[in-house]
Amino acid sequence: MVSLVWLIPALPLLGFLLLLAVGPRLGEPIAGWLATAMVAGSFVVSVLAFIGLHSQPDHTTTFTLFTWIPAGRFNVDVGFLLDPLSSAMILFITGVGALIHLYSIGYMHGDKKFSKFFLYLNLFVFSMLLLVLGDNLLLTFVGWEGVGTCSYLLISFWFEKPANASAGKKAFVTNRVGDWGFMVGIFITWFTFGTIQYTQFIPVSPGAATTTATIISLMLFIGAVGKSAQIPLYLWLPDAMAGPTPVSALIHAATMVTAGVYVMVRINPMLHAASPWLPTLIAWVGVITALFAATIAMAQTDIKKVLAYSTVSQLGYMFLAVGVGGYWVAIFHMITHAFFKALLFLGAGSVIHGMDDEQDLRRMGGLRKLMPITAATFIVGWLAIAGVPPFSGFWSKDEILTYAFHQNIALYLVGLFTALLTAFYMSRQVFLVFYGKARWNDPAEPSTHEAHSDAEAAAEGAEAGAAAVATAVDAGEHHEIHPHESPWTMWVPLVVLAVFAAIAGFINLPFADSTKYLENWLEPVTGRYGAVVDYSNGTIVALLTISTIVALSGIGVAFLVYRRRKLPAAWFEPPLFLQGWHYDAAVSAFMGGPGRAGFNALSWFDRTIIDGAVNGIGALARDTGSIVRRTQSGLVRTYALAVTIGAVLLMLFVLTRVNW
Amino acid sequence: MTNLLALEEAHTAAGFPVLAVMVLLPLVGAAVMALIPRTRPDLHRLVAIITACSAGALTLWVLYQFKTNDAGFQFVVSQTWVSSFDIKFYLGVDGISLFLLVLTGVLFPIALFAAKPDHDEKGYYLWITLLMAGCLGVFCALDLFLFFLFFELTIVPLYFLIGRWGHGRKVYAATKFFLFTMFGSAFMLVSIVTLALLAGAGENGQTSFDLIKIVESGAISQNWGRVLFCGFAIAFMVKTPVFPFHTWLPDAHTEAPTAGSIDLAGVLLKLGTYGFMRYGLYLFPEATVWAAPVMLTLATIGIIYGAIVAAMQRNLKRLVAYSSVSHMGFAILGLFALTTQGLEGSVLVMINHGITTGAMFILLGFLYSRRHTYDIASLKGLQTVAPVFAGLFTIVMFSSIGVPGLNGFVGEFLVLLGTFVSHRWWAVVAATGVILAALYMLWAYQRVFHGEVDDANRDMPDLKLTERLVMVPLILLIVFLGVYPKPVLERIQPSVERLLVHVEAVNRAAGHDFHIATTEDGEHLEPVADEPANDGEPKTDAEPAADAETSGTTQTAPEAGQ
Amino acid sequence: MSRLYTALLAADVAPPRIPTPQIAWRGLLPIVVLLVGGIVLLTIASLTRKRATTRWYAPFTVVVALAAAATTMPLWARVQSWDKLLWIDMPASPRGPFSTAAGAIGIDGFGLFVAVVVCATVVLGALIADDYLRREGLNGPEFYALLLIAASGAVVMAMADDFIVLFLGLETLSIAAYVLAAMHLRRAQSQESGLKYFVLGGFSSAFLLYGIALIYGGTGSTSFIGIKNYFGTSVTAAGASVGGRVPVHGGLILLGLALLLVGLGFKVAAVPFHSWSPDVYDGAPTPSVAFMAGAVKAGAFAAFIRVFVLTFPNYVTDWRPIVIALAVLSMFVGSVLAIVQTNVKRMLAYSSINHAGFILVAVAASSAQGTSAVLFYLAAYAFLVAGSFGVVSLVSGRGDSRIGLSDYRGLSKSNPLLAATLVVFLLAQAGVPFTSGFFAKFYVITAIADAKIYWLGVFAMVTAVIAAVLYLRVIVAMYLTGGAHGDETEPATPRIHVGIAARIALGICVLVTLGMGIFPETVVSLAEHGTPILIEPPAPTPPPAGTGEPSPTTSTTQPSSLQLQPGS
Repeated sequence: MVSLVWLIPALPLLGFLLLLAVGPRLGEPIAGWLATAMVAGSFVVSVLAFIGLHSQPDHTTTFTLFTWIPAGRFNVDVGFLLDPLSSAMILFITGVGALIHLYSIGYMHGDKKFSKFFLYLNLFVFSMLLLVLGDNLLLTFVGWEGVGTCSYLLISFWFEKPANASAGKKAFVTNRVGDWGFMVGIFITWFTFGTIQYTQFIPVSPGAATTTATIISLMLFIGAVGKSAQIPLYLWLPDAMAGPTPVSALIHAATMVTAGVYVMVRINPMLHAASPWLPTLIAWVGVITALFAATIAMAQTDIKKVLAYSTVSQLGYMFLAVGVGGYWVAIFHMITHAFFKALLFLGAGSVIHGMDDEQDLRRMGGLRKLMPITAATFIVGWLAIAGVPPFSGFWSKDEILTYAFHQNIALYLVGLFTALLTAFYMSRQVFLVFYGKARWNDPAEPSTHEAHSDAEAAAEGAEAGAAAVATAVDAGEHHEIHPHESPWTMWVPLVVLAVFAAIAGFINLPFADSTKYLENWLEPVTGRYGAVVDYSNGTIVALLTISTIVALSGIGVAFLVYRRRKLPAAWFEPPLFLQGWHYDAAVSAFMGGPGRAGFNALSWFDRTIIDGAVNGIGALARDTGSIVRRTQSGLVRTYALAVTIGAVLLMLFVLTRVNW
Repeated sequence: MTNLLALEEAHTAAGFPVLAVMVLLPLVGAAVMALIPRTRPDLHRLVAIITACSAGALTLWVLYQFKTNDAGFQFVVSQTWVSSFDIKFYLGVDGISLFLLVLTGVLFPIALFAAKPDHDEKGYYLWITLLMAGCLGVFCALDLFLFFLFFELTIVPLYFLIGRWGHGRKVYAATKFFLFTMFGSAFMLVSIVTLALLAGAGENGQTSFDLIKIVESGAISQNWGRVLFCGFAIAFMVKTPVFPFHTWLPDAHTEAPTAGSIDLAGVLLKLGTYGFMRYGLYLFPEATVWAAPVMLTLATIGIIYGAIVAAMQRNLKRLVAYSSVSHMGFAILGLFALTTQGLEGSVLVMINHGITTGAMFILLGFLYSRRHTYDIASLKGLQTVAPVFAGLFTIVMFSSIGVPGLNGFVGEFLVLLGTFVSHRWWAVVAATGVILAALYMLWAYQRVFHGEVDDANRDMPDLKLTERLVMVPLILLIVFLGVYPKPVLERIQPSVERLLVHVEAVNRAAGHDFHIATTEDGEHLEPVADEPANDGEPKTDAEPAADAETSGTTQTAPEAGQ
Repeated sequence: MSRLYTALLAADVAPPRIPTPQIAWRGLLPIVVLLVGGIVLLTIASLTRKRATTRWYAPFTVVVALAAAATTMPLWARVQSWDKLLWIDMPASPRGPFSTAAGAIGIDGFGLFVAVVVCATVVLGALIADDYLRREGLNGPEFYALLLIAASGAVVMAMADDFIVLFLGLETLSIAAYVLAAMHLRRAQSQESGLKYFVLGGFSSAFLLYGIALIYGGTGSTSFIGIKNYFGTSVTAAGASVGGRVPVHGGLILLGLALLLVGLGFKVAAVPFHSWSPDVYDGAPTPSVAFMAGAVKAGAFAAFIRVFVLTFPNYVTDWRPIVIALAVLSMFVGSVLAIVQTNVKRMLAYSSINHAGFILVAVAASSAQGTSAVLFYLAAYAFLVAGSFGVVSLVSGRGDSRIGLSDYRGLSKSNPLLAATLVVFLLAQAGVPFTSGFFAKFYVITAIADAKIYWLGVFAMVTAVIAAVLYLRVIVAMYLTGGAHGDETEPATPRIHVGIAARIALGICVLVTLGMGIFPETVVSLAEHGTPILIEPPAPTPPPAGTGEPSPTTSTTQPSSLQLQPGS
């Protein structure tokens, strides 16, 4: 069964090729079903492979297809590595992927590029699986770039809107910054180990010199920061919300953005060999990102942007986990997050769908009755991310906090506070969307986010915050809206995901070793160099209680603010948060200002100095000619004079050579 | 090193002299066209296409017959031409020139199919055919004089193609191109002659232009080697073009007709890099190592500089031209990295750039035939009206950006990898080029294809079937070379490694402690050191390199004296 | 014909009876044929009624020139000691180069080669002139007669082994050339140019003559052999100054050399003695220019080689710097001035100055290589320049009026074939591969590099690039103006009728230009065998030691023994 592993990426690829060939002819909805079937198929294969893996020696197997790049001693195969880590990843990638494909059939209904959408989606799933299954850094990099490319194509899927197009470009370029680090990382790895195959350099990496290991890890971490939208490269993710909502759910919540975390976990022995400041750095980058993004999420008015920033925040948690040595925990949270964040996005999508593409929180409300299923599932997701027991998010997040607590109390506190904020802003969203009175037919009050968009438009529009502009445009036109529940293709995935979001936490309960299923499963990969936390159940329960209280209090505050209206909302959503601490605007301003000026200066230099020099030489020759030309008077006497002078000079010369 | 390069390695191909036929065929075609009256454009087109296709077919035949694991020159044709100077009509192909030859054979027919001239068909087809002859000749010439002839021969046809069938400031562009390249060649000619005299490898100490004889004679002193290298380098740097000598390229590209641009970008730019590889490294190994830091720096500058300037262009063709400066920078970088990966990558970059940029210019040609402009500002939202066109453009664009899975990536990655091994900082800096590449390409794409389509572009028709068919082979190549470059690499490798062994040997002989950088220079880790880079058959790829290097060095130790 | 030769050869074998300087007429045959041909032409023309014979002048001239060329064949065969010329067996002796008229005329490969080149220029000149003269209504025998006489002068220069004879040939050539320049009766410029040429030519001849006088004063001889013996230079060919001594007080000789350089420099139009040539080329009838440019240069450069490389190799360190200076100036001024001209004939004049510079570079090499390079260049150049001016004379139309660059606009449309022909010549002059021009330049570069003066080679090539601009400007005018894009202008040139003679001439030029470019082998080997040698005349007195010029048997190996071995 394990030998079927090549089928896992092959099926989506096949789907991609089929759609490429006959997609438009299949049209809606066949194309969608085809794509879904392919991903579902590879999910089934994944399950089989997963089961088969138990019989393998230490749950690891490799599978080489063909030699890709043979260049002297540099030799890369297209081969797959199926081990506990990758198997765990492919399961939720294909699983969640299949559900989102199904959902998309309903969501993309009536879109004139229906088949193309699924074409891209399948290509994405293929790339993602390549990323995870690749048995060497370079193949992972192929997937890495592949998902980036697909995300570019899908973000700018509705390219008629300039904002979407810019968002796509921004995502790609920002990712490229990270990719630079990744590439350099590969170079050093090969230079050091003579191979870039995980099975060969990972085992020996602890033997590497500290500096080498540190630099390699750092470079790969730079790549991860780009891909997983951490400070300072998180900018692209919120804008990426310009893409269709299923894309946001699949790529920008569940799978692609977690690639960075995956790579970090994959090379964890290297991190172990690196000098200690690096893990600490990773941890702090993670936790600060988490906090920072959470604050921004508190004030967002766009339903998807709230979720986008919350994604950034949650990814921060995962890096925190990596930083404090809880590698398997990072994966744990990645899995649960995949479920509840996909659920939330799809729910939001369902809302937007029902609200005729209205995305402004303040123009919703009371949808609970009109979209019962969406509401119910969304609430499950809310409780999960808010960290309310026994929902999945609670368990994974608490594990992270436990590891953080074990490592460094400061990290723990910041993480805890972020948890509070998380509970708060998610509750805010839920209350604004599903409770209270319906506000969608109110006249659009001049709200802060026009100002927002203006600010960024000022900062060289093309680059600036895409989705914000988009909402501004939406708020402009304004018509009767009749919210309605979504078709079954959309709510079925919601329900399924809701179930998992609720129970996924149970794959790893902290109380007894027997219940730590995930940890044990990942042990071959993460066990050896991961941090060891052996708290007594008492401590664990205490920590659990604390985080429960924190979560509930967060919800409580939100309740007071947005349901009871006891406290003014303005306190909790200052413009500073709404505009993301002006970071995005600042970067855009720089890009549009000094950056662009520099580029212009260089092209001026090329035109004027370098090319000028070339033309200058030409002109010089011509001028010399026209000067010398003057001697050509046409008068015999001048000519004769010239001859004479010449003769005299010659004679003078020879006279110098006579030895008297 | 001499016996490594001995002539007997260059075994002649059984049967008829395919290379000679291949090179002369276009000349014959041109002659035929010269006789056909200009009132029969259709006939001219026919002849041109037949000629180009049959020459192309021959290149493919060569590719098919090529012996993979042979580092020497194959299909060798040697025919005395001017005996008193020992000038020979001496052709041969090795792994380095093989694919450039094929590239020429593929691109020229496509260029003919892709675009038609709007006037004076006779001259147009005649010049293109001559150009093809020149390019084919350059890539298989093994006689310096012959090489120079073909190298120069490429200038005139392109001059006329740009000057007569171009647009805008065509005369300015053409003249600039002509003089720039002539200027470079001036130095090369003197260097070639001097080299021939110094080597005196011919009968009774006469001049000889026989590449291999000259190398074997090893009569070039260190200083002479450096001086002559500079002479060659100027010509090649202009042709490639390397950073300060690049300004002819944007003009030439912008004003050239579609076919001109395709051939210029696809094939002619490679003349420079190929020249460096065949005549720079091979003839002047010591000088190459000596000049490497400068060249690497210029290349790195070119990569970044070209990308940045490209981003600021308002004209699509200029943009692609500057992107060529950037890409060829990679070729130079890998070349002077002097590592197996670097050189293989460099060759690969040449091939890929030829395919990708060729495809790019074909598409731009289609665009021009519809909208009669390359001005980015006057194009908008084309993806709406011409989805197929946009789709093809996207693929080509990603190939140019270097997205893995497409051809562009493999070459650039190998170049950077190889460079990192020998000169890490240059590689690290040059790698930022991939960021900029994404920037200028995607930005241009967004401005041209995205957004709401405006009235000017609303009724632009999508690609016709014939046009799509023209693109098919290129797209296939783009994907194939990205997914499975092995066939190409394994044919390049032996020649590249032989070249490097030669370089190393000569430098050792010159008393430098120079060695081809490998991972061995990296920090040693027991579990890795004893087991090869990869398990299974790749071992066979890695081994010859290893023992070849050792043997090369041991052999040249005694020769250091003489 | 062939039987006649064998008879003559047989006659020569007979031993001399009285020790008088005997004339081997067979050796002088090329000169004689040309001279007599010219005189005969004049006589016939003056005796017959003009109308009837007009159309036969050109063919007659051609035949004479060809005959002259033909007469060189057996001589060449003898010089090269061939056993067989075509199907005729050559006598076993005498063989090898020889000299006659008491050593005043030397018959060696060099002279013969130049003689053939000169004959070629005559043929081309005549063919081109045929149309021209008829068009201009100038047709009479004079032009052709002058061609032949001038040619004979040039050949004399090429074969002269004595300063007096050299001067004789030079004046014959020059005076004829002056008249040729002034040939166009109704054109003021023509008259003016003729006069200018005459005055300045006389002026420079004076320098030359004075130089000869000084040399005579210094060496006591005007004969090259005498001078050679005076210096005691053995194997004198190709600058291998073996044992060549230099007198302690060489002031006279040095001054003489300087003045000789002035005189010859003027003839080849080397800067700063060039100023006449643009005006003359501009004013003179185009066919005359076509001839002059080729023939005068041929003769003058032949003299250069014979005097400096062959006779004064021991002064090479003194005259080489001057020659180099002249070369550099000529190449530079020629190229930069050419690119600012707007008159095609002037352009070509300057380009010819540039070419002169190139040939001077080869002279400066002062080696067998250099000599061969000069020969090759002269041969290539004769056809190039004749072809170029041939086209110009066709385009220029009645009264040589249309010689501006603008008159060439759109020539490719009105006269595609003519334009294409001109392109061949222009590209060849620019030194584009697969043309004679390229190989000529290559040859020169090889020679100078062989002489270890590399910078001069680089400089030469760079000026060649600058000069290329001028050729491109003409091409641009013909091809790149007009066309489909925008400025669709009326072709400036009307349809031009090209007469049969001109067709032949241009055809020959194109064929030779491409032929010498693609298959240079033949001409190269001829040029290599065209070695100048100084040989004692078969005098009653036995030749002094050290000057034993290769006896017929050894002379087969002559060329190889003449390779320049620097430092030997």
